[in-house]
Amino acid sequence: MPPTTTRPPPAVAAKKIPGEEGVWIFILGDICVFAVFFTYYLVQRSKHVDLFDLSQSTLNKNLGAVNTVFLLVSSLLVVLAVRAMRVAERTLAQRLILGAFLCGVAFIIVKVFEYSERIAAHQIPTTNGFYLLYFVLTGLHLFHLIIGLGVLTALFILARKADLSEHQWAFFEGGACFWHMVDLLWLVLFPLIFLVR
Amino acid sequence: MTALLRTPATAVWVVLITATAMSWTLGTQHGTHDHKLASVIILLIAFIKVRLVGMYFMELREAPNVLRGLFEAYCLIVCTLLVTVFLWL
Amino acid sequence: MAKRIELDSGLAKAAVWSGIALIVAMIVAQGFLMHFIPPPSPALSAKELAQRFIDRRDEIRLGCLIQCIFWSFWATWCMAITIFIRKMERGWPILTYSSIALQGGGYVFFILIPMTWGVIAFRPETLDPAVMQIMNDWVWFDFLFTWPPFALWMAVIGLAIIKDHNVPTLYPRWVAYLNFWCAILIFPAGLIVFFRDGLFAYNGVGAFWIPFAIFFGWMIAMSVLTLQAIDRQKTRQSENEPVMASV
Repeated sequence: MPPTTTRPPPAVAAKKIPGEEGVWIFILGDICVFAVFFTYYLVQRSKHVDLFDLSQSTLNKNLGAVNTVFLLVSSLLVVLAVRAMRVAERTLAQRLILGAFLCGVAFIIVKVFEYSERIAAHQIPTTNGFYLLYFVLTGLHLFHLIIGLGVLTALFILARKADLSEHQWAFFEGGACFWHMVDLLWLVLFPLIFLVR
Repeated sequence: MTALLRTPATAVWVVLITATAMSWTLGTQHGTHDHKLASVIILLIAFIKVRLVGMYFMELREAPNVLRGLFEAYCLIVCTLLVTVFLWL
Repeated sequence: MAKRIELDSGLAKAAVWSGIALIVAMIVAQGFLMHFIPPPSPALSAKELAQRFIDRRDEIRLGCLIQCIFWSFWATWCMAITIFIRKMERGWPILTYSSIALQGGGYVFFILIPMTWGVIAFRPETLDPAVMQIMNDWVWFDFLFTWPPFALWMAVIGLAIIKDHNVPTLYPRWVAYLNFWCAILIFPAGLIVFFRDGLFAYNGVGAFWIPFAIFFGWMIAMSVLTLQAIDRQKTRQSENEPVMASV
């Protein structure tokens, strides 16, 4: 049987890996892949500057900004949820995770609305290089966000347990970091695709 | 709940929201003047935000130096790369 | 008293090596013989494509024979990992059975590739180029568009490792995250249905090269990691550790 202990709060000076090493292979790897995509986007833009700028002007920047706020709020809720878990406030942690989950759902709803606006205006992935990258990059991010909702669900389930093993704590913190990564990626995507010109 | 909120991360969150508002203002201003400077500032702000999320939300501030260093390097390198490509390609 | 159930490390390792053989055969047969790594562009006309099959008819036929043999090893390679999944999960073997079901589909998808090319190369001179084009498109969709069950199995492996109750775990925990990451990264293969050229066409960097490199890189990594896990298990057995789970 694996040892079941609640992890004591870390000593102030001790350095510890948030979650566990494996999570960081995933997160660092993923943000590197996105960095390649970000660079590819700007390189493509440099070849068709006017086309990109013109197409960009059709995007709904307000919806993009609203989505940024949703994700920032959800990240704060996740930070608070981890803190709540550490002082054994299980119920509060569950509510905070649920709140973060709902913010994620709100993001999806806004995104669906945003996509339908584009499609209604005949701006689809095959229209031109800008819209292709817009849909692929935001779509890839959306895919990560949906997985993130799955991760938040797992965290919610963990928060309902009376006691977490060391591995479960590691997964909890790692899952929280995954959600912050979803937020982090949008913090670059929104200005890059919607605002930079 | 107020005890939970008493952490640097909350202050950082306020900074992030403010920075988002700043970027949005810079990015949605209309006018025919050259937008390049505004865009560079927007990119810089974006990566400052990324770094803050990493340090304070993901708790990399307390992480071993190698891990923290990799993340800081990522922020620096990718930001520089994107600004360079934007300005010089 | 629980019966002691031992791992036959010779057989297990052979199963892992069968997967390496699969990769080598693919590079030789599909790459060098058939010239199908990378895929011919979906933007080619039916006549241009037909010509490729006519020109390399004999190499393609031979390559297909070889590939039908070596794609079979997908099943054996997967089992080397699946026996570990069985030992990692407790109780009713849902992850194990899901794995077996997903892999069974896997080798069929793979073998249909050389089988179909074989059919195209059977009488390429008299077959209608438009028909050949559809069949060739079909093969590449079979290769790439069918990514979900494979991504799902990667996620199952990751999940099994996360939930591994053994102390120490049979695979290092970071391998779980590697699997989750690879599962996400092969997703662009699904975009081939929308594009006939560019980044996400079935010969493009985004939809072919990246998923291809990730998938076979993952196979190599998992092969190395599984060989290591087999060695660790051998050591455990010789040190007379109690049996972990009944088969």
